[in-house]
Amino acid sequence: MFSIFCYLREFLRPEWWKKFLFVKTAPLVTPPHYRDFPVLTGNECSHELRCMMICPAPGAIEVLKNAEGKWEPVIYKGHCIRCGLCVEACPDNVLTSGDILSVNEKEKTYFLASYHLNVDDSICMRCGNCSVACPVNKEVDPQLAYTATSSSNEVIMRIKNSKLTIIHPEKCTGCKTCEEACPNHAITVARVLEGFQDED
Amino acid sequence: MSFLQSLKNNVRQRSIHVCYVNVGSCNGCDIEILACLAPRYDIEQYGIYVHNNPREADILLITGAFCEQWEDKLADLWDKIPEPKAAVTIGNCPVSGCVFNRRGSFVDPPVSKHIPVTASIPGCPPRPTEILSTILSVASELFKDYEDK
Repeated sequence: MFSIFCYLREFLRPEWWKKFLFVKTAPLVTPPHYRDFPVLTGNECSHELRCMMICPAPGAIEVLKNAEGKWEPVIYKGHCIRCGLCVEACPDNVLTSGDILSVNEKEKTYFLASYHLNVDDSICMRCGNCSVACPVNKEVDPQLAYTATSSSNEVIMRIKNSKLTIIHPEKCTGCKTCEEACPNHAITVARVLEGFQDED
Repeated sequence: MSFLQSLKNNVRQRSIHVCYVNVGSCNGCDIEILACLAPRYDIEQYGIYVHNNPREADILLITGAFCEQWEDKLADLWDKIPEPKAAVTIGNCPVSGCVFNRRGSFVDPPVSKHIPVTASIPGCPPRPTEILSTILSVASELFKDYEDK
């Protein structure tokens, strides 16, 4: 009898009714370390395209010119898998997502990219298309044209002594234009990205 | 608007039955739907009930990159859902095929070319909070004044 009275008293409390009808779990907030879609930080993009090279999802990121004529990475939702690799690979910290940049700064971790050119001499037919197509060569020696036998020694590669010679492999930016221009698939570009950490 | 209409609107928004279908995903997005059911996110407190029967569903949640075998089956399933209805795709796969959309793979994204899609939630996978807020915002638009539509 007493317990029924106790229950009734409990149920007559307005507080109980309010809780019964309107209680919800606390609104869930996204934690600050969560890697959402990358957003721009405002740093200037130097068009090294490392973000596009490292991105594992097809069609997720593109570096385009914005309205002011400056390079700017664009993230496509519905393609981006939010792995954050573009944020980490960027040498200029153009993008940010979650706490990736602050953790990189704290732990002094960074990526270094290097590009290795490899020519298969047995199938290379010395047409020089790769050297002519290369945008870096075009910048260094505008004279370099058909058959790539111009005499400049500052270019990445050219035909020298009737053989495709790689002179300055360190100038390569990894764009793979030469790969696409080669009719025999004789030249390949390996993009190597190594993670480093400064320990001190 | 009459009192009865506003009551109907109110009640419809608080009783949404969802049905989910996996048209060839990796199960990551299905696990996120499962996380919505668990006490931490708890979609039932918002009046969303998982009821895996298309004939009683209001909203169809679609995960996956649309494998070939679903070509006729998904359209059938969509026809079985009574009006008012909405399809919400979850994850990148129904939008773009994500990492499965490679040469030689048997997927046919986007899902929106097979059935009409009301909303898409990007992400690989999306957070449960994103799924929840999308369903709630779709439902409040869709079921409001349905008789007038």
